Amino acid sequence: MTFNPLAEKGIPLDRQIRNWRELDVTPVDPDDTDPYTKCRIITMNGIEVEAALFSHHFNRICTDREVKEQLARTRYIEQQQQKAVNWLLPGTASVLETTISYEQVAVDLTGWVARNEPDPYLRQAYEFGVLEDFDHLYRYANLYEMIEHRKAEKIVDQLTEVMPGRPTTVEHRDPVDNLRNPYDRSTTAPISKLHALTLVASEQQTMNFYMTTGNMYMEPIARQLYQEIGLIEEEHVTHYESLMDPGETWWERLVIHEYNECYLYYSFFQQESDPKVKTVWELHLNMELEHLRIAAELMRRHDRREPEEVVGRELPQALTFEPNKAFLRELLATQMDLTTLGAGYVREQHERFQRMQEQIHGGEKAPTERVIDMHREKFGEDYRIETEGKHPDPRLRQEAGTR
Amino acid sequence: MAKAHQVTTEEIDVVDLLIAQHALIRDLFEEVKSTRGQVQEEAFHRLRRMLAVHETAEEEVVHPAARLVLAGGNDGLVSDRLAEENEAKKMLGELEGLRPGEPAFLELLDKLRIAVLLHARSEERYEFMQLRQKAKPATLRSMAAAVKAAEAFAPTHPHAGVESATANLVAGPIAALVDRVKDAMRGTSGQVKDPRS
Repeated sequence: MTFNPLAEKGIPLDRQIRNWRELDVTPVDPDDTDPYTKCRIITMNGIEVEAALFSHHFNRICTDREVKEQLARTRYIEQQQQKAVNWLLPGTASVLETTISYEQVAVDLTGWVARNEPDPYLRQAYEFGVLEDFDHLYRYANLYEMIEHRKAEKIVDQLTEVMPGRPTTVEHRDPVDNLRNPYDRSTTAPISKLHALTLVASEQQTMNFYMTTGNMYMEPIARQLYQEIGLIEEEHVTHYESLMDPGETWWERLVIHEYNECYLYYSFFQQESDPKVKTVWELHLNMELEHLRIAAELMRRHDRREPEEVVGRELPQALTFEPNKAFLRELLATQMDLTTLGAGYVREQHERFQRMQEQIHGGEKAPTERVIDMHREKFGEDYRIETEGKHPDPRLRQEAGTR
Repeated sequence: MAKAHQVTTEEIDVVDLLIAQHALIRDLFEEVKSTRGQVQEEAFHRLRRMLAVHETAEEEVVHPAARLVLAGGNDGLVSDRLAEENEAKKMLGELEGLRPGEPAFLELLDKLRIAVLLHARSEERYEFMQLRQKAKPATLRSMAAAVKAAEAFAPTHPHAGVESATANLVAGPIAALVDRVKDAMRGTSGQVKDPRS
């Protein structure tokens, strides 16, 4: 891409405040919307939530009133943007329906990022995580058919397969084994920094979503499933977050945040099929350009560095929502048995892992296992969408059913 | 295609049944939207039949039960649902006056689809969840039996062309169908079973 957000002009900040009429966006159609449009909406919601939370953290440690005022003004706009974006999702979706879209995001966003990540250590972290989100999608889809009497295919269409990934039951690790080594901010490519931030924001929002809405179901198996998968999302946030260089200054992190928002709105504007949503991406891009300009100025003044040193001179290739089936199948065939030990990966279920497994499972089957058993009992087999053939791992092939 | 699974009436949860019908109605709308010609007309007839049967079942059994069990005589909640159903019936009536395939038909169909979806979701969130919690198990079971009796008049596994025996029902007036459904639900006594018993 030859677009350089640092060289573009955006909308002046004081003209960015929208009134109630302008914030009252029309939601997308519950049935006819491209699943990837919903995925883009969910992604940008996560990004704007992270923008607000990051700004709040910065506010808590900032001693300069002038800077705090600048942060407050921008943060308010980010909050309006968050609402304009998230309210594009219609109120008709159940929590589980939205959850399944969230997991589709996790799978196809992480899948694409992994495929396009130049650093091998970072790429491995993304490959590790995506197999776990892939499994979550499968578990929630089985719950969905059982209690809402609807197939997940209606939500994800044929874009994302639904079948077991690395089983959630073995995703529960000792907390210290979720800490990876950070990239070096002085040598890492800008795209790697953007990737890490995007996935942290995405997993964080997913974690938050399950924390808040998982108790809104009455069926015990639903409540238990959200508790279990919610705990894995905590692991994922730690896992991706630990990839970021803790030595990054607050100013450079602010620039990376605003730059990433420009990058994603620009990417999604390019691909968006829904014309009304496309205008939202365009408007928000024009707002973020100004937020970035403000952040760049703060960095020059307080860090005495040029933002290009941190984020480069032109945007990377557009981040794209598209199927990742072949990529995922390759991972399913080769990386199912991985777990983590310290900052690295192993195939043995080491002692610390086993101890955690004993503690969390308490001698019983996990909810993610029981939900499949329940579905099998009711329907004769588990629910899957296997568009590209049998499961790559022979141990996870569907048991002969009566479909 | 949805797979039939054998469950006895004792096991069946009436809320489950209704939610499954909501999902089926959503599918039927998509079918009408995505087909043309004879296939579309036939799909539309199945949709209106399903809607008529489902709404009659709710009016005869579900909403009266909800009025009785909801806290503090929360009639407003049920009245809201009935108002939504009346709006939907009006739209359906208008649709029946149009020819499937013409632009006005598709536009109104879309309006009806969204209205029905909103109504279904409101029922699930505000009414059904409370019913499940507050109505006696015996009540829920007899409601399930009544809804199942109504279901016999609606397509659960729609297959184009398989309906020779019920071909008369397909194009027949909805009012007559509704009467037959009510009869089936009320049983020989002609009375709606008291949901409190």
